[in-house]
Amino acid sequence: MTRAETFTKYFLGFLTIFVVIALYAPIVLTIFYSFYKTRKGKVDWDSFSYEPYTKLIFEKQILESLVNSVYVGLVTVVFSVLIGFYFANYYHTHKGKMKEFLQFVIFLPFLLPPIISGLALLIFFREVGLPRSLNTVVIGHTIFVLAIVYKIILNKLETLKPSLMESAYDLGANKLQAFWYVLLPNIKLSLVIAGLLAFTISLDETLITLFLIGDDTTWPIKLWAKMRVGFSKQVNASVTLILILTTTLVLLIAWIISKSEKKIMY
Amino acid sequence: MINLIFILILILEICFLMTNIINYFQSSIWTIVSFIMVTIIILIPLLSFLSYSFFTVDNVEIIHEFSLYNFKEFLTGEIYIPTFFRTLLLALIVMIACMITGYPIAYFLAMYAHRSKYFILLILIIPLFMSYIIKIYMMRSILGYSGLINKLLMMFGIISEPSEFFLYNQNAVIITLIIILLPLIIIPTFTSLEKIPRNIVEATYDIGCKPFQSFRYVIFPISLPGLIVGAVFVFILALGDFVTPQLVGGTSGFTYGKIIYSNFGMAFNWPFGTALASILLIVSVLIILLTNYLTRKN
Repeated sequence: MTRAETFTKYFLGFLTIFVVIALYAPIVLTIFYSFYKTRKGKVDWDSFSYEPYTKLIFEKQILESLVNSVYVGLVTVVFSVLIGFYFANYYHTHKGKMKEFLQFVIFLPFLLPPIISGLALLIFFREVGLPRSLNTVVIGHTIFVLAIVYKIILNKLETLKPSLMESAYDLGANKLQAFWYVLLPNIKLSLVIAGLLAFTISLDETLITLFLIGDDTTWPIKLWAKMRVGFSKQVNASVTLILILTTTLVLLIAWIISKSEKKIMY
Repeated sequence: MINLIFILILILEICFLMTNIINYFQSSIWTIVSFIMVTIIILIPLLSFLSYSFFTVDNVEIIHEFSLYNFKEFLTGEIYIPTFFRTLLLALIVMIACMITGYPIAYFLAMYAHRSKYFILLILIIPLFMSYIIKIYMMRSILGYSGLINKLLMMFGIISEPSEFFLYNQNAVIITLIIILLPLIIIPTFTSLEKIPRNIVEATYDIGCKPFQSFRYVIFPISLPGLIVGAVFVFILALGDFVTPQLVGGTSGFTYGKIIYSNFGMAFNWPFGTALASILLIVSVLIILLTNYLTRKN
């Protein structure tokens, strides 16, 4: 390794560390403020307490919004994985130009600015006469995460050899049996990964939700509303809890991926 | 409240659907089902969205009649076109800054980080899934008058008193957007850099390339499609964002997305907001198509 290259290596290493710090600064500060108090811009180091976390139980609005978010996330996972699997399977098994068009349309809400997907659905629901509620939010989230779920499942399907399903049919399995005993065990990990990812994204979706939410609130919307009056410690505490949840989910996804890569693929 | 134009679009859509199905397939029920599904959940909302941009509003009633009034308003209004171009510039700055920062990091991970590269990548990706609103809120306290940045700069003696350079203006929007969107550019760049086999790099040395030449003529061109994909993601998201300017932008950080959003709130002029958004839509679609073309060519 030449000197210039060693220099590049260390320089890039420092840059990476700097960026990691910059990316985590807002998050670390939130966690910090949930434990410590500040007075006139100075941190009071003796004020450590986890009281905000226990007080959180009495914050009905925050808890309600958290429950709403989890509900929306779970329903979104079910819908997006079902529809995503359907389209991935369709794309994988059919021929023709139509499937390319379908794929393009599925990718659209993900590629376009979220404000446009949100507006389009808002106007659509108004025209159809569907009142805004958590259910409309579920539809919005499903459409948004569909592209990712679809792509993950499709990638997995494409690693499978066609002979796998064919041999199942040759051995006398009907369509349902071939799906249940052969296809599903092979792709179930990708379904889990897609579902977890959909949940993680849905939990934090703000831009589309802002347009589609009615009188109920999901958690990011509650934060958005609270922001104008400034955050209480309980809000910071709820943020910390959600951060722990999302981090766990992402680590879980990474763990499943690394585990599934070691297995021999058919 | 289903109006005439809406039904018309529906009928056109169904006709289009039917002819396509007959043309491409011999009546497969699944094709029809999947087509109807996609049409109902994605295409019809987008089309009704576009049709709205031709309507007008009278007090609180939306008049469902064709008119080009909104687009005339966009072209003649004093603030719309300048804001649009300023927002394009803002998104461009964010994109370039993300490229300049993101590429070296992806390069470091792919070339020098060896076994810990996936771990570092994971660390860089996790913030992407962390609360968007909270990150903006905390950036506000970091960038503020008595915030972390000002304190650090004063500690190192770079400035003598707190600067207002960082909050409630365009700079704040740019910095916040970079922090939020940076991971998006690292992922695809890393993936395309990682695919380069080591022996190709070694082969360039064997034929007498200097490290920089090997980077300039071999590594960079191979990794370019990944960089472009990431850059376009960042650009489009920065272009349409309306929450960040609202929270850290102050009055001078007025962006296009914020104007669109304001038409759906207090101003209650949905058709005009939609017209503004449809211009954004056209620009985004053009960019997506251009990217598609560029990356395919490479």
